[in-house]
Amino acid sequence: MSAAAIEKVAREWRLSVDALGEELCLLDGGGRILRCNRAMRERIGRPYEEILGQTCQQRVCAPGPCAATCPLQRMRVTLRRVSGELAIGERVYQATADPVLNSAGALAGAVLLLADRTEARRSALLNRLLTDSIPSSVLLLDKSLRVVLANRNFLEKSRRTEAETLGRPLSSVFPEVILEELGLEEQIRQVFGENRAKGGQRLTYRAPGVPIRVYFYSIVPVAWGSRVDHVLLLMDDITEQARLSEEIHRMERHLASVVESASDLVISTDSAGRIISWNKAAERISGYRFDQVKGQPLLAFLEEKHRTAAAESFERDALPNAAEWDVVTRAGKPRKVSWVLSPMVDGENRRQGFVAVGRDLTEQRKLEHELRQSQKLASLGVMASGIAHEIRTPLTISSSAAQFLAEDELTPDFRRECAQKVHEGIERASVIIENLLRFARPANQSERAAVDLSRVVGNAAGVIGSQARLQKVRVVTRLPEEPLTVLGVASLLEQVCVNLLLNAIHAMPGGGTIEISAERTAAEATLRVSDTGHGIAREDLDKIFDPFYSRAPAGKGIGLGLSLCYSIVKQHMGSIEVESEPGRGSAFSVKLPLL
Amino acid sequence: MKPSILVVDDEPGMSWVIRRLLAGRGWRVVTAANGTEALEALRSQRFELALVDAKLPDVDGLELAARMGKAAAGLPLILMSAYFYPDDPLVQRALASGVIREFIAKPFRHEALLAALGPGPAAGTQAAR
Repeated sequence: MSAAAIEKVAREWRLSVDALGEELCLLDGGGRILRCNRAMRERIGRPYEEILGQTCQQRVCAPGPCAATCPLQRMRVTLRRVSGELAIGERVYQATADPVLNSAGALAGAVLLLADRTEARRSALLNRLLTDSIPSSVLLLDKSLRVVLANRNFLEKSRRTEAETLGRPLSSVFPEVILEELGLEEQIRQVFGENRAKGGQRLTYRAPGVPIRVYFYSIVPVAWGSRVDHVLLLMDDITEQARLSEEIHRMERHLASVVESASDLVISTDSAGRIISWNKAAERISGYRFDQVKGQPLLAFLEEKHRTAAAESFERDALPNAAEWDVVTRAGKPRKVSWVLSPMVDGENRRQGFVAVGRDLTEQRKLEHELRQSQKLASLGVMASGIAHEIRTPLTISSSAAQFLAEDELTPDFRRECAQKVHEGIERASVIIENLLRFARPANQSERAAVDLSRVVGNAAGVIGSQARLQKVRVVTRLPEEPLTVLGVASLLEQVCVNLLLNAIHAMPGGGTIEISAERTAAEATLRVSDTGHGIAREDLDKIFDPFYSRAPAGKGIGLGLSLCYSIVKQHMGSIEVESEPGRGSAFSVKLPLL
Repeated sequence: MKPSILVVDDEPGMSWVIRRLLAGRGWRVVTAANGTEALEALRSQRFELALVDAKLPDVDGLELAARMGKAAAGLPLILMSAYFYPDDPLVQRALASGVIREFIAKPFRHEALLAALGPGPAAGTQAAR
């Protein structure tokens, strides 16, 4: 070759070598640098003259010492290419040392190639960190089903070291039982063949003496292009989750059962008032099944006259509120239900919907009606002796007058007088009987009308008159001139007055005075019944309106009177209060809104 | 002087009946409408017999009977009532203890009352029924 040709080749060679990203240098037998490429020069950061002739330790690996892992050392022994990792400063290189042999086969020099693997190394480290932090067990398998990679979780769970695991076949690192049960190896081979993930399934591992564990596994192909070189086997121990999930389901079933078993209607709606759930009681009382009402507004099942008020409740921002709205059953009949509407909020206090709990009042109303009736009769029982006395007295006159009429020798005047007395006596008795029968009649309570409270008081005073006279109780009534009109049921209000009056009479076994008054105050009518009896002890004051709370001895009154008064007054949108001083007397005040 | 009978009853009709019944039988009838009047009458006059209603506006008939018994010892008292019946324990006790001599329930048969009054001042003028 001519010198020029050699020169050209040398130049081209230098250009190629300088174009390399990797660092390349040529060393002599003593490790001194004969040549190096641009990449190395730039990394070393010195001019070419300062590099040549220096040892590779002085320049390539400086400032550190020769690395123990330097492939050059090994190469000098084996006289073959040696490749290994070399750390220089903070960077990591794949260093390859190739021997340059002279004609005698002895080492004349070396070629050292350094490829910067720092990023790759860092990347690999990060991956390792990731796979080791995964709570799942991860195995990377090659085509022959050998373990290429096992993460920390797998090693810990199977109690193996990395050395015992890497390179081993799957069957030697994985429980035989599971492999067989799942036919894992076959599945893995399928994944290799089809390049499609498999699994996503549960596996329940039962072994005698070992608590049951539940796993979730999947097999994922790792493909380069279209070739599947590796497969990832992922396993998750979901025993705890499975248990919690079962626990949650059990709780849900229990809660559902609680709601279903409730005798009250329990209904939930979304924030627009559309029905989301509807329990058995709701089905029974309304006659509609859940599938017939789902998604529809709850308002649609209420009586039309109540819908506006109900709609307002849904709008309202406030706390639970209660009201009585009629439900229209499937059969078209209205049914009185007492509702409590509560908002449902999520974790951030946003309104999610509503819970409506309803109590069927039909039964309750019937019961109340019966109670009222029996209480009325009980009152009549209490008044029986007074009533009898009041009837027998005029009858005595009639009887005697009739006996006189049977005699001979009567003057016509006397005869007329006797006939009159007979008639009068019977009339008197009839009035008393009529009063009582009217009182005893069951009230037709669905008919509210304008009621003059003064008349009610008057009637009540008449009913208890006999009893009062019998027990030497003076009844003083103070009523206003103009009528005091309230909206309600006259007979029910009369029952309240009679109850209060009888209680007052009962409180004065030795006689006394009752004052009953009715007056107008602002937009209310106030009815007051006061007595001069034995009064009510302070500790009993808040219990007297409780049903069956009675201080009377057995057989005398069953304690329903005041609780029914309370119930009737409440239904008339009024209030009832008591003031009392033991030994001095009591005063009951009933306030009712004026019509 | 006619024997006097004290009738204690607040019902005016009773006064009419007793007066008519005892007229012509030789009794002088004095009526009192309550316990106070009755006791006052006892202080000012002498009576042969007293008819006392069991329910008076100011006092219980039986209690009045006891007081009358103290105020006028030996005065026979007949209790009349539109409230009690003869088998009422209170009535039975009063009869047994002698507070009252007899009890008549209202309404009553005239013969029964007349018989309770005893032979009376004008005996024999009334035919038995």
